[in-house]
Amino acid sequence: MPFSRVHLAFPVALALVLGCVLPLGLLLVFSVFTVDMDAFEMVPDLSGHSWGQILSNPVFAFLIGKAVVSGLVTAGLAALVGYPLALAMARLPVVWKGVANIVLLTPLYTGEIVRIYAWRIVLGSEGLVNAVLKGFDLIDAPLKFLLFSPFTTHLVLLYNNLPFMVLAIWISVELVDHRLIEAARDLGARPVEAFTKVILPLTTPGLAVGLFAVFALAAGDMLTPSLLGGTSGATPMAMIDNLFGTAFDWPLASALALSLLIVLFGCASLMAGLLLRMRGARAVFAGRLP
Amino acid sequence: MQQGLTRREILAGFAAGTAAGILGSTSAAHAAVSELVWATWESNGHPEYVTAFEKETGTRIKLSFLSSEDAQFAALKTGSAADWDMINPSLNGSWRYIKAGLLKEIDLSKLPNAARMYDVLKTTPKVLDDSGKLFAVPYLWGLNPLVYRTDKFDNEPDYTTLFDPKYSGQLAMRDYALESIAIAGLVAGVPRDKVFLMDAKELAEAKKLLIAQKPLLRTYWQTIGDLTNLFATGEVSCAFSWRVPYDELKGKLPMGMAKPKAGIMGWCDCFGMPASLSPEKTELALKFADYLLGAQYATEIARIGNYATTSSIIRDDLTKEQQAAIFVDDMEVMKSFMWPVAPDNYSDWLKIWNEVKAS
Repeated sequence: MPFSRVHLAFPVALALVLGCVLPLGLLLVFSVFTVDMDAFEMVPDLSGHSWGQILSNPVFAFLIGKAVVSGLVTAGLAALVGYPLALAMARLPVVWKGVANIVLLTPLYTGEIVRIYAWRIVLGSEGLVNAVLKGFDLIDAPLKFLLFSPFTTHLVLLYNNLPFMVLAIWISVELVDHRLIEAARDLGARPVEAFTKVILPLTTPGLAVGLFAVFALAAGDMLTPSLLGGTSGATPMAMIDNLFGTAFDWPLASALALSLLIVLFGCASLMAGLLLRMRGARAVFAGRLP
Repeated sequence: MQQGLTRREILAGFAAGTAAGILGSTSAAHAAVSELVWATWESNGHPEYVTAFEKETGTRIKLSFLSSEDAQFAALKTGSAADWDMINPSLNGSWRYIKAGLLKEIDLSKLPNAARMYDVLKTTPKVLDDSGKLFAVPYLWGLNPLVYRTDKFDNEPDYTTLFDPKYSGQLAMRDYALESIAIAGLVAGVPRDKVFLMDAKELAEAKKLLIAQKPLLRTYWQTIGDLTNLFATGEVSCAFSWRVPYDELKGKLPMGMAKPKAGIMGWCDCFGMPASLSPEKTELALKFADYLLGAQYATEIARIGNYATTSSIIRDDLTKEQQAAIFVDDMEVMKSFMWPVAPDNYSDWLKIWNEVKAS
């Protein structure tokens, strides 16, 4: 068989598969082990105890469901906010596109902890937003829901992950042949119709990349919910961390991690299916114009 | 002017680069011996506390701050803390490390300053294995009070305050099963000497209280720096705490510290070395352990952190006020402490705590 460019991808593909499959295999094996808490040792076993706990204790289903909802809400909001931004960026002169890119990515240059404490200063009871609202006599008492609530968690998750959505859509928008949009408008399509019938299908690959990235990042975040979500900040990731670390219950932690992965993978597959059902999207993915 | 490089020059460059790399590695190896990584609490290891030791020995103390005792144990057990040279088990938690074979035996004769330790801590069996070998040395102790804003409370708060709807939105609890469930147990009426031995029924009562408490809390605090920030920004007015926020903020805000009569959580930190520590590092670590029991560390941590070491080395040089500030004016105080200790059914406690947080 002659050497081709495809073969160049083999080493990387192999590394990716091993890097993904090996840890998952270990998790699967650990999940059926048991723990000897007297000796603080994992005992090789074929026990269904951990999986039984995952299925019987509603806490685990609740936390996984919460992560899925968090990921979907953030990804949905990021798509809504991201499209106008990406379309606006695509219309900028080349120099300003560079500036817009830098501005868009600036939040990512700071550490997550720095951003978290900055948000506390902005949204806190004595923070910037409450001070301004009070200064204009719009409120009597500070708006407590601004900080340490699900609102805070999703606002910050959206802020943190928005660049991944905007960049993905923007690159797709740049590849759209503008004559197609002009043709649609010339044929009487209103801006909304031109968007839904031309731009949206043609940029579905970018939207898909953005949705998958934001969904995975938001559903798997631990620090933001934990430090900004207040008492509502419990996440499956924190529990996995807790079980692996504090509780030394690796079998249960492994079973929970695998359960979370299975559910998130299922949701991502569902999202992919829905995207492919969008009018024209399948043709774009197949490399043909609608 | 030379326009390019010859093959000979390129090869010479590679050779020089390789040599520099090897020499660099060698010097890095030397540098590694003169550095000790100390895993400890943020409040025990301010850089200025160890400056004198660094100057005296030329050894750099690299601080690695802990988030919880359980996380420290798990990190050692799972090998994810391979760079730690010195660790910080609690007096009551040391047995777990000893039983799991995670600690190196300590020769007390190599710690001259141990001679001035308070007897009750020097002779404690909690840091010995079954054969009487020593694996950890207590070096610092204190109490965990309730810290509160005096301008927001008419009376000194106690543990029931943390469950009082009147103070909804101003309260915080530590995100830590052992202490939080124990406090709920005390509020439920379990005596302080039995609170760490609660049975399933008592634990269920504590869980009920904690679930009812959840909507009253502003948040669960993760680190003491986190809680200090919450007090400083006005988010929290009363919390089960360490004394750090009180000391950090008392000059800027009206801060108070309450010692609930139901029982005061005492703490005592020990010094320990990972079982796999190299002989060179062990020598250095023992020198550092002796420093922790010496006058310099005791003076600095009493002055800045308001903590007392387990040594009486500076006690008589302090004024009565200074002694009171670090609770060494009356040593009887240690008898009223509750010493948090992980119970046999601790995994049940952790499950309850996770259920409370997910409720």
